[in-house]
Amino acid sequence: MNRTGPWRRLGLGTAVAALLAFTLFPVYWMVSSAFDPGADHRGAAVLPEGVTLDHFRHVLDEGDFGRYLVNSALVGLGTVLLAGLLALFAAVAVARFRFRMRTKVLVMVLIVQMVPLEALVIPLFLQMRDLRMLNSLLGLTVVYLAFSLPFAIWTLRGFVAAVPRELEEAAYLDGCGWWRMFRSVLLPLVAPGLVATSVFAFIVAWNEFVFAFVFLQDDGKYTAAVGLHRFFGQYSTDWGAVMAGSTLITLPVLLFFVAVQRRLSAGLAAGALR
Amino acid sequence: MPAEASASSGQGGAPALAHARGARRAAWTRAARPWLLLAPALAVLAVLLLWPLVRVVLLSFQNHGLRQINTGESDYTGLDNYREILGDPFLWKTVLPNTVFFAAACVFLTLLVGTLVALLLARLGRTWRVVCSTVIMMAWAMPAVTGTYVWIWIFDPLNGVVSGGLDAAGAIEPRETNWFTDRWSFYAIATLNVVHHGFPFVAVTLYAALLTIPRELPEAALMDGANAWQRFWRITVPTIRPVFAVVTILSTIWDFKVFAQVYLMPGGSGANPEVLNLGVWSYIQSFSRNEYGMGSAIAVLLTLLLLALTVGYVKALAGEGEEP
Repeated sequence: MNRTGPWRRLGLGTAVAALLAFTLFPVYWMVSSAFDPGADHRGAAVLPEGVTLDHFRHVLDEGDFGRYLVNSALVGLGTVLLAGLLALFAAVAVARFRFRMRTKVLVMVLIVQMVPLEALVIPLFLQMRDLRMLNSLLGLTVVYLAFSLPFAIWTLRGFVAAVPRELEEAAYLDGCGWWRMFRSVLLPLVAPGLVATSVFAFIVAWNEFVFAFVFLQDDGKYTAAVGLHRFFGQYSTDWGAVMAGSTLITLPVLLFFVAVQRRLSAGLAAGALR
Repeated sequence: MPAEASASSGQGGAPALAHARGARRAAWTRAARPWLLLAPALAVLAVLLLWPLVRVVLLSFQNHGLRQINTGESDYTGLDNYREILGDPFLWKTVLPNTVFFAAACVFLTLLVGTLVALLLARLGRTWRVVCSTVIMMAWAMPAVTGTYVWIWIFDPLNGVVSGGLDAAGAIEPRETNWFTDRWSFYAIATLNVVHHGFPFVAVTLYAALLTIPRELPEAALMDGANAWQRFWRITVPTIRPVFAVVTILSTIWDFKVFAQVYLMPGGSGANPEVLNLGVWSYIQSFSRNEYGMGSAIAVLLTLLLLALTVGYVKALAGEGEEP
């Protein structure tokens, strides 16, 4: 197994180089164009002409991009909090109680996850229109909540099931009621699962485009993904600005992903295996 | 004495009765608690996923335009929408081939790249593995919308890096080449975008599956004289096959309903009908032409297509599982 001949090393090195180039090139091109004062006529120049913050300034001041980012963050946080809470309750119900139709409920949640959300744009648009929630961040939050719930329930179910029942019983013996046990025993133990599902729910909300694009009409309500669309000119595009906006959207998600990657894959494995 | 007795029996009876009532209430609470816990989640799923799913099917049998929206009437037209769509050569010549071939190419390439990267990760030393997986995470983290803009910028006909490079090499006339107008090059760029965004999930999942192979297994096979090729087909492939099946199904579902990566490309929002796929066509029928019934019918067709594919995959898997 441990033959490290020169050919093998060369092969591995080439493969790694190809992977890094393919994966990183778009990221590099985005960030370097965002700082490049001559982004608009950059062509194939590997290095930017210089470094400037003008594109960011333009996007944030004239483009009102700060407000879009705040809107996105609000929608994301709302989705995370609601999804975490509702999914945890549901997960406790299916993992800890034996009741009739339990399996049916679980299977239904799994099937619902398969529904192509894009097919629901039209009915949800009409529904939100009737409820007069089209142009509101709350309406969008509720929709994203529904999208992230099935996955969150399934993942958290694994984490709840992994908490030993003896711990719960010990809490009861110590005189805790069910609610107290839930708060002091179950909640801290499933916290890693909550982190994993929160990351997913936040990214669903942060990256989503179609529903935000259809629902939000007033540009003060735009999320960042929709707001970016405004920088596309009819005939020419200010590429420096678009790349600066793209960098601002991507950066938080990117740092987040890289920071939690270990926890994330551990969470994925735990949720899938149990 | 009788008074005392009755008093004592009364004293004995009340707690017993209260106890029985308490027990019944406790049993009821126990039975109701899971449903109370489930209620909020189920309500959200019912109102925002199940009901819209029913409604999109109902809408697909209606002529639902601006007039119907404003008056709130329903105008059922039976199968008219479906008849019109299925009788439209545009579906068979343009939209369906675009959707199917694009998805097939994306799924194939995503799985190929993802599998190769997973195998590569398993062969690397610790440091390089961390470097590579961090970089893969970055590709995964890039939102579809910004990723699409970056690829458009890279292939921009006037100032993009590809046309700039090819121009410098003398390969093209920069102002006469626009890759976004031609159907094939349009979808080649979209494929690159989707694969770049989709392979990390496959790679990370398959790598996790590779880790479940016990270390002793390949070593024992090596002792028995199996070469690398045999070890790969006899040990690695059977271990990752179930996970491979799952990522295949998921990638197929995702790639069939690609929307933003096509819609946001130049000409993808309807200006160039040649490049529409099912998802974008449904969107344009509904929100640009205000024919929500027609758009719903297209969305239902897309859903049915996905359903058929998923069922087909699952059946094939089940059949495969029975063989050995």
